[in-house]
Amino acid sequence: MDPQHFISSGIIELYMAGIASEEEVRELEAAMAQFPAVAAEVEAYRRNMEEYIRLQGRTPEADIKTSLFNKINNEPNLQEGEPVPDQHLQQPKVVSMQETKSLSWKWLATAAAVLLVGSLVLNYVFFNRYKEFREYKDKYQSLLVSQNSILSKSNLYKTRLEQMQESMEIIQDPKVLKVPMPGTKAFPEALATVFWNPQSQEVYLKVNKLPEPTTDKQYQLWAIVDGKPVDMGVFEMGDTASLLQKMKVTGKAQMFAVTLEKKGGALQPTMEQMYVAGKIPG
Amino acid sequence: MEYAATYTEAELVQGLKDRDQKIFSYLYDHYSPALYGVIVKVLNDDSAAGDVLQDVFLKIWRHLDRYDESKGRLFTWMLNIARNTAIDILRSKSHKLEQKIQNLTDDVHLVNNGLSTVQPSTDYLGFSRILEKLTKEQRTLIDLAYYKGCTQEEISRVMEIPLGTVKTRMRNAITQLRNILNK
Repeated sequence: MDPQHFISSGIIELYMAGIASEEEVRELEAAMAQFPAVAAEVEAYRRNMEEYIRLQGRTPEADIKTSLFNKINNEPNLQEGEPVPDQHLQQPKVVSMQETKSLSWKWLATAAAVLLVGSLVLNYVFFNRYKEFREYKDKYQSLLVSQNSILSKSNLYKTRLEQMQESMEIIQDPKVLKVPMPGTKAFPEALATVFWNPQSQEVYLKVNKLPEPTTDKQYQLWAIVDGKPVDMGVFEMGDTASLLQKMKVTGKAQMFAVTLEKKGGALQPTMEQMYVAGKIPG
Repeated sequence: MEYAATYTEAELVQGLKDRDQKIFSYLYDHYSPALYGVIVKVLNDDSAAGDVLQDVFLKIWRHLDRYDESKGRLFTWMLNIARNTAIDILRSKSHKLEQKIQNLTDDVHLVNNGLSTVQPSTDYLGFSRILEKLTKEQRTLIDLAYYKGCTQEEISRVMEIPLGTVKTRMRNAITQLRNILNK
């Protein structure tokens, strides 16, 4: 039903007189809530009805007021306004335009408050998530770094292990001769070892103890073959010194010796700079 | 009592909520004639009406916290308390319907005016203007429904008119009342 139809239906007049049926009252109250025009029309009727009543007013006797105020002042429970259920105090549902306005305002305020609270809660939740995420990101990055370092260390160990295994295989090979080279008189502390496989002619050097040379010098291994020194190559010191270093090959040798030469090696050994030397056993 | 100022409805409500007796006194002076008029019309009994009026104002004083401005004006709320309280008393007396409505059409207002100790309404002239333009039947219809709380069936029986025409005649009466007041 549209508002105009409602206004002309006659229900408002019956409602004002107080003889509308329950169903009609329900319909009208729904219409008042829905259409401000209907609410305004009901309010206009109500004002007319109240004017009609007011015009029939009569001034009560003065002692009624005196008695009323005596009661209010002398009965403490009345002053406190104790709650007593009374159906007469129930207000009829009157939806005026003003109420619609304030209602929507209240709804808006409530909705805004709810949204604000919701947003605050979400802010809190998301901020916490963000903080967690940031922590995880940091942790992830540090894990990544440590994993990389572990990986590189692990690679390093792997390489070392392989080199060690290789060295072990060489050393354990029964065909390989171990030639210890103790220090000479000039360098009694020095010590190095040659592992030589006469069949494959491979020669490996192990530095046991040699002083670190200056950067312009290098140690050089010599094989003494039939009384003549044969160049077996220069070798590295530093970290590499702990490993077996593969030298040049030779199928024949009676003795091995190490001299300190200029970087890159020399054609003839400098005998004064001979650190270690050892004869092939047997 | 005299008052330097009149109050808006919002000021009245706030004053009453603050238990301001000066405001309550103003409220009484301002609204007791209308409420008393309703009670007298419902009960047709001047001596009982005074007690009921006092009861009604006590209810207003005690239960103002239950008044909700968003649901209607203060006067509407007070009128409903007065009307409902009086109609309840009328019904509790278990009078027959015919007794309840006795003298309804003999206008108490006019009959008693000047004869009893009750002071005349300040709006006597205004009301006479309405009386001239409403038929006696229209006044009876409105008064039976509003002041006696009669149903359509009761109105039909008392006024001896068909039930089906009660609605139509009531609409006409209220519309006529509205036209008079809006002139």
